[in-house]
Amino acid sequence: MNEQISALLDDEIALEDAAHLISVVLKNKEATQAWSQYHLIGDAMRGNAVLSQQFKQNLMQKIEMEPSVLSPNAALASEISKVKHANRLPASWAIAASFAAVMVVGFMLLNQQTHSGDEFVAREVAQADVSKDVAADEGIPAEYLNAHQASAPSASAYYIQTVSY
Amino acid sequence: MTGLFAIAGVLFTLFSSINAQASADDDLWQVLQKTAVAAHALSYQGIFYYQAGTQSKPIQITHMFNGQGEFARNVVLDNTPREVFSQGGDLTIFNPKNENVVIEKRHGQNMFPAILPTNLDLIKQSYSLRAGDPDRVAGRAAQMLFLEPKDSLRYSYRFWVDAQYGLLLKSVMLNSRNEIIESIVFNQLGLMDTVDLDWFQPKIDSKKTYVMEDEVVIIADNGVPVGWSLKGLPAGFKKVDQMIRMVHGKSLPVTHLIFSDGLASVSLFIEPLSKSIKPRAGRKLVGGTSFYSSVSNGYQITVVGEVPEATVAQVANAVVFKK
Repeated sequence: MNEQISALLDDEIALEDAAHLISVVLKNKEATQAWSQYHLIGDAMRGNAVLSQQFKQNLMQKIEMEPSVLSPNAALASEISKVKHANRLPASWAIAASFAAVMVVGFMLLNQQTHSGDEFVAREVAQADVSKDVAADEGIPAEYLNAHQASAPSASAYYIQTVSY
Repeated sequence: MTGLFAIAGVLFTLFSSINAQASADDDLWQVLQKTAVAAHALSYQGIFYYQAGTQSKPIQITHMFNGQGEFARNVVLDNTPREVFSQGGDLTIFNPKNENVVIEKRHGQNMFPAILPTNLDLIKQSYSLRAGDPDRVAGRAAQMLFLEPKDSLRYSYRFWVDAQYGLLLKSVMLNSRNEIIESIVFNQLGLMDTVDLDWFQPKIDSKKTYVMEDEVVIIADNGVPVGWSLKGLPAGFKKVDQMIRMVHGKSLPVTHLIFSDGLASVSLFIEPLSKSIKPRAGRKLVGGTSFYSSVSNGYQITVVGEVPEATVAQVANAVVFKK
């Protein structure tokens, strides 16, 4: 099935067979998912970002330029919100994100305790003797390392996985 | 009279030996120039090993230049195979993570063996080049080159280049104590004589869900900074990029500047301190990557780069705040 979907995307299936395949795909949930996955992969591979970097900005500008409609269509609004929800990330992501947030908060609390709340003194000491780490962390902070490697990749950035959130 | 001739003769010999030295240097830089171009212009496939610290990974590479454009696929051959596709400078990375494959978009044109820029001017300012002995790598005759820094602000490199085609076969990065920080070496290599692009597509795992990586908000920043300026940057480092970006875990945007000496890159982050940000001051060296952070005039300054520790410290100290 997946091979047929892939062939359909690559325009390698006769028109009459394609019509039949599309109707099958629409009925089969798994096939529909495969269809959208292949589209996503294809879009990503074609060299262009799936959404351009300026997409949000451009969209917001366009929305601002649109004349306001004074009779809002309630049905349409609820449709849009449904679509929005459907496009959301799976629930597991939200859980992972909140777990990460808890970790960060926990880490900050832990740090504050070790510094007995007197950050200013800690900072002064650190500036005098920078060889001693104030934050007492193990490695290079992942948020800066990731930002560095995303914009100025080196060999290790391509082949070795850095910390992910 | 004969004395004058003798002096002239000595001077001539002196000048010609200086000239010979200069032209031998030029020839070596020509070899490196050929190497820089070969990585982009040739079509090849093979397997190379990336090694840094305790990490060692085999990577399968297929690279093609079909006359119009450059295409490459790098597959990290371990239990979670990452596939990196590049088309010119545009990269698409398929990164398996648990049940998902995360699709990441990046820019970069310095993947092995294309680690050298095609314009070597910046490198010439900071490094000197010296020939080594002939050697063999991946069954091919190679010429060895030492690229050594003129100061202690960067690492040194040893390159083994293919004697026939100029392609980089092996690259080793060392610190000032001559310890190997990173090495990349071809184990198998062959040239391709096809322009077929059948291989330029990811291996799709139908059991995984493909998702795009969260979009990181980055705005190009061409403005002149208001509160600070840069004074006394490490020699040979030029600013190559400046942007305003969101950094994970930060609520406020961060100014991000990138400096390069042609081979090594350094990132400088400047952000105003706020109550939600815990100020950080310290330094770290992990493998060949140095990290330095300090607090000045209500700003958090953070520097990260594949350079010695002294270099990131100097970049951080180059930020001068206007009184």
